[in-house]
Amino acid sequence: MSFSRIRAIILQELFITRRSLEVIVDLPYFSVQTIVVFGFFSLFLSGTSHLSSANYLILGLLLWEIIRIVQYSISVAVLWNIWSRNLSNMFITPLTIKEYFIAQMLSGIIKTIVIFSVISVIASLLFKFNILSVGLINLILFFINLTFFGWSVGIIIVGTIFRFGTRIQSLAWGLVFIFQPLTASLFPVKILPPFFQAIAYMLPPTYVFEAARASLADPSVKWEYMGIAFIQNIIYLLLSLWLFNIMFNKSKETGQFAKNEG
Amino acid sequence: MNDTILEVEKLVKNYGHFRAVDGISFVVPKGKIIGLLGPNGAGKTTTIQILVGITTATGGAIKYFGKDFFKNREHCLQRINFTSSFNELQGRISVWENLLVFSGLYSLKNHEKKIKELIEYFEITDLLNQRFWDLSAGQKTRVNLIKSLINDPELILMDEPTASLDPDIADKTLSLIEKLRKSKGISILYTSHDMEEVTRICDEVIFLDHGKIVAQDTPVELTKRIPMAKLSLTFDQVNKHFVEEFLKENGLKYGLENNYSVTIDTEEKLIPKIIFGISKKGVWITDIEVKKPTLEDVFLQIARGDKYVI
Repeated sequence: MSFSRIRAIILQELFITRRSLEVIVDLPYFSVQTIVVFGFFSLFLSGTSHLSSANYLILGLLLWEIIRIVQYSISVAVLWNIWSRNLSNMFITPLTIKEYFIAQMLSGIIKTIVIFSVISVIASLLFKFNILSVGLINLILFFINLTFFGWSVGIIIVGTIFRFGTRIQSLAWGLVFIFQPLTASLFPVKILPPFFQAIAYMLPPTYVFEAARASLADPSVKWEYMGIAFIQNIIYLLLSLWLFNIMFNKSKETGQFAKNEG
Repeated sequence: MNDTILEVEKLVKNYGHFRAVDGISFVVPKGKIIGLLGPNGAGKTTTIQILVGITTATGGAIKYFGKDFFKNREHCLQRINFTSSFNELQGRISVWENLLVFSGLYSLKNHEKKIKELIEYFEITDLLNQRFWDLSAGQKTRVNLIKSLINDPELILMDEPTASLDPDIADKTLSLIEKLRKSKGISILYTSHDMEEVTRICDEVIFLDHGKIVAQDTPVELTKRIPMAKLSLTFDQVNKHFVEEFLKENGLKYGLENNYSVTIDTEEKLIPKIIFGISKKGVWITDIEVKKPTLEDVFLQIARGDKYVI
């Protein structure tokens, strides 16, 4: 494991982020826009309906952005290099796939912390919603669990792109939204039909969102929910790494990895 | 001391039922430029991709510096590099930023000094702050070459580095490669479709066809495998019938361009005899041109499956 190579990948991410309008639009712009639009919608709800519904919505959206940004960061980073026909160049250096993922995971955390802080401040200033009202320890635990889930989804998507090429590249920014309703991010899980509830409880973010909503009323740590989410996250992360490994090896075996750059 | 940089032994690559590389073996000695040639689909690019580890081999062994590549990937890749006209660097970021990233990927100690040395050598100081995708093809090739030298490699794999370059820039690139070999003693495995440049820079050429090595020698020795040459003679036109008479008598294959010039396909060793024989008939030969076979001819004959060359 080389710290220098991990740092080099993070540095490349920093350079790309700084110089790409696409990243700025996809990450801070989209996050801020979502919070502003649904923030106003939550204000409307708080005036007409129950206050907690409005808070659930804004809380769910803030936490959802953690998954989206972490996953986007890992999946789209690989596309920047495929589109530039630079991915092969990087993997003919001593860089290992382990170092590459560690760098992308760290880069995802940095981006998420920055953007999450910005949108949380916006939520506080414009909509009087204080994310810290869920409790600091809770917030850290939510962040860790949602980050793990974002990594797992991101790793699977990278493996799929390596294996099948850029024809499925839209998964990099589209696939994650399947989990938004399935994890009951914006509403209590009991709203879902029983079949979807069963699926929801197989996904770690469901426990985080349920715990987060509960913590608005009682900010004590929901260890049981956090524990289940964490164990599931470990299983999903290991599963995603295993699947990635299969797809990466298959991609090199079929020549798809080299063909990805056209 | 081991003077073999790369050793490939019985390398095989199957894509399903299709065999792209069929048990090839070769070595790249220290300081030598070895050309890997062949028609499209011969297996050159697949071989290069396996040699840099982005495609897995079905069978065989690869050793860099005497070490098994599959077991010592990081160690081997630290000491080699790759450049291709088909790969680029990250287009969204500047040349300097790209080089900084690659210096990190090779864990260079004095990376800024190294990058500055190379950019001065390749005279691209004014391009440093430009985004890679804004560069011209020639500028990109130079930056790619800098990238391929950043880790002081002992071997560079070059996949058609001059493709898509205009003749002037291609010539400058070749001069740079020649200079590099001379000054740094780097070994190079070189693929190209341009036979002139291969003849110019390669010490040895390996011809691949349908995944197999069909010929391997120096460019000069390979051209000697085609014994035929083209002899063009210009003569005083009043004696045209004597020329034709001589050529027919000796069963030579020829074509009359006009009344005063003829092109004869013949074995190189018969040329003096032909000239002397025609002169003896009282023909005044005013011009003689001999076109010897080139590597291009060898390539074409191999591509067309000529057993004589193979």
